[in-house]
Amino acid sequence: MASVTIRDLRKSYGSTPVLHGVSIDIADGEFVALVGPSGCGKSTLLRMIAGLEEAGEGEIRIGGRLVNDVPPKDRDIAMVFQNYALYPHMTVARNLGFALTLKGVDRVEIAARVARAAEVLGLSALLDRRPGQLSGGQRQRVAMGRAIVRNPLLFLFDEPLSNLDAKLRVQMRAEIKALHQRLRTSAIYVTHDQIEAMTMADRIVVMRDGRVEQAGAPLDLYDRPANRFVAGFIGSPAMNFLSGRIAVNGGASFHLDGGGPSLPLAAVPPGAHGRPAVLGLRPEHALIDPEAEAALEVTVVEPTGSETQVVGQLAGQPFVGVFRERVAARPGDVLPLRLPPAAAHLFDAGDGQRLV
Amino acid sequence: MTDATRAAAAPLLARIGAWPGRVRPPRWRRHRIGLHAAALALLLAVLFPFGWMVQMALRPPGEVLDGALLFQPTLENFAALWQGHFPKSFLNSVLVSSLSTAASLALGVPAAYVLTRWRFRGRGRVALWILATRMAPPIALTIPFFLAYRWVGLQDSVVGLALIHMTFNISIVVWFMQTFFAAIPRSLEEAAWIDGCGVWQAFRRVTLPLAAPGLAATAVFCFIFSWNDFFFALILTRTSAVTAPVAITNFLQYEGWEWGKIAAAGTLVMLPVLAFTLLVRKYLVRGLTAGGLKD
Repeated sequence: MASVTIRDLRKSYGSTPVLHGVSIDIADGEFVALVGPSGCGKSTLLRMIAGLEEAGEGEIRIGGRLVNDVPPKDRDIAMVFQNYALYPHMTVARNLGFALTLKGVDRVEIAARVARAAEVLGLSALLDRRPGQLSGGQRQRVAMGRAIVRNPLLFLFDEPLSNLDAKLRVQMRAEIKALHQRLRTSAIYVTHDQIEAMTMADRIVVMRDGRVEQAGAPLDLYDRPANRFVAGFIGSPAMNFLSGRIAVNGGASFHLDGGGPSLPLAAVPPGAHGRPAVLGLRPEHALIDPEAEAALEVTVVEPTGSETQVVGQLAGQPFVGVFRERVAARPGDVLPLRLPPAAAHLFDAGDGQRLV
Repeated sequence: MTDATRAAAAPLLARIGAWPGRVRPPRWRRHRIGLHAAALALLLAVLFPFGWMVQMALRPPGEVLDGALLFQPTLENFAALWQGHFPKSFLNSVLVSSLSTAASLALGVPAAYVLTRWRFRGRGRVALWILATRMAPPIALTIPFFLAYRWVGLQDSVVGLALIHMTFNISIVVWFMQTFFAAIPRSLEEAAWIDGCGVWQAFRRVTLPLAAPGLAATAVFCFIFSWNDFFFALILTRTSAVTAPVAITNFLQYEGWEWGKIAAAGTLVMLPVLAFTLLVRKYLVRGLTAGGLKD
């Protein structure tokens, strides 16, 4: 187990910068998810921590040791690859024990540790098979097993579940989380799936275009996103964004650009009267209320059984609502909505930063 | 059989594979019979010279050019070969081919790996120049080689000839093996590095075993190219390092052509090529990389 410190890490491919000074601290035993859209630099950052990419400028420390110029083999880390990268010419047992063989661990000891890991992951019956004879889920488990057998300082996961089907993904998600809770080894988990990040991580680092947009506990990111990008990235379906202006006449309110009723606001920054802004509201926070003045013109209704998702237009701006109750609306209907001021987020209309 | 009974029996006969008079085989089956016949004819045409040589080798020495179809097969021609210098030449061929193959692989395989995996300036140009060494006509290189060898004393030596064969085999190794290495996913090597391998160890324990079928096929090609060389062996050897193909020409003499020995020696020279070709076929169809990665 070890802490990881990344200080002002920069990297370019030729003249194209991919990381613009990333700093992250990962505590001992913490499970951190790196999320972001494709090309945000999260995989590059992970590969730099692993030593598979040369560190540009900046510092990477694992357990306090500067590892910028340390080859991967000497970093004492384990990595689970997106495509599993199992050695096709070795049996499952040899795949699991390969790192220990290289370290010169005694054969009896290797067999015992492999057997223990195989038991934890339900691979005991498959030890003599080759990767080619395994299903996708079994290969994924072998890749996990190869990492845990070593008892490393740090686990690195590079989108390990993205090749599994939806059901298996949910199952493996829970297994990885349970495994981490048992081993308490620090882990960095790269994914583009924010649900995976939310459910598994102690802390999430949201990245975009080679920069850290926000880092924090999953629910902090959900409750207080630092900017419009994080607000839209965390949560599914994504947060609604309504553009308009802030008005302060006694109480604060928000006037939508397309007209319609003004929406009350809980708090505004000082001197905000007349300032253009974007109001963010999560779909699950909108409420159907016959007394309410905001009207959602329904275009699509998607019942899932447990909830109903309604897509439509609010004062000419796209809006999605998710309701626990069953909604009998049809396309063309108008649904009266209450948008609770306490659940609303205000962002700057220009740079998208959070206002209050 | 009346038409009616014939028609009634047709389905049953068709099922057991017999075709009554008027029922023609289905079109695909006729098509396939034609294809097989054509393939067989082609095969016979290709194999005829070899077959002819082998039967000449097995005839009694006095009747080698006899046209009679029936004869008493004998190994006399082979026995006559064994008495002369031919076994030494055959051994030379084996030595030259093995040495040059081993040396080409030892130098060419790491070169191919570096050209596949490392990105450096002029990589494409280096690869092309290696290939270009194979493009020069042998006659253009013979006189310089001959003079140089006379000067350094490598003329008429097994090592000297193996060195020459190595020069043209290296390009084969580099170009063949680049394709095989490129087919092995990088992430397998990266996984090995993280598991604790250095670059060389990952190459030896992961990449090379996965490229083994390709390596075997490449080795066989090198061996056969070296084995079949006549030109360099003719120019650069005199007595002690003469190879089998050159030795055969010694049976064409003023006093007459020793057809029996020529045929027997030709048959022997052909054997390793035949054996190795079968080996290559087996290795090339085998795919070892299946299953290590999510497809």
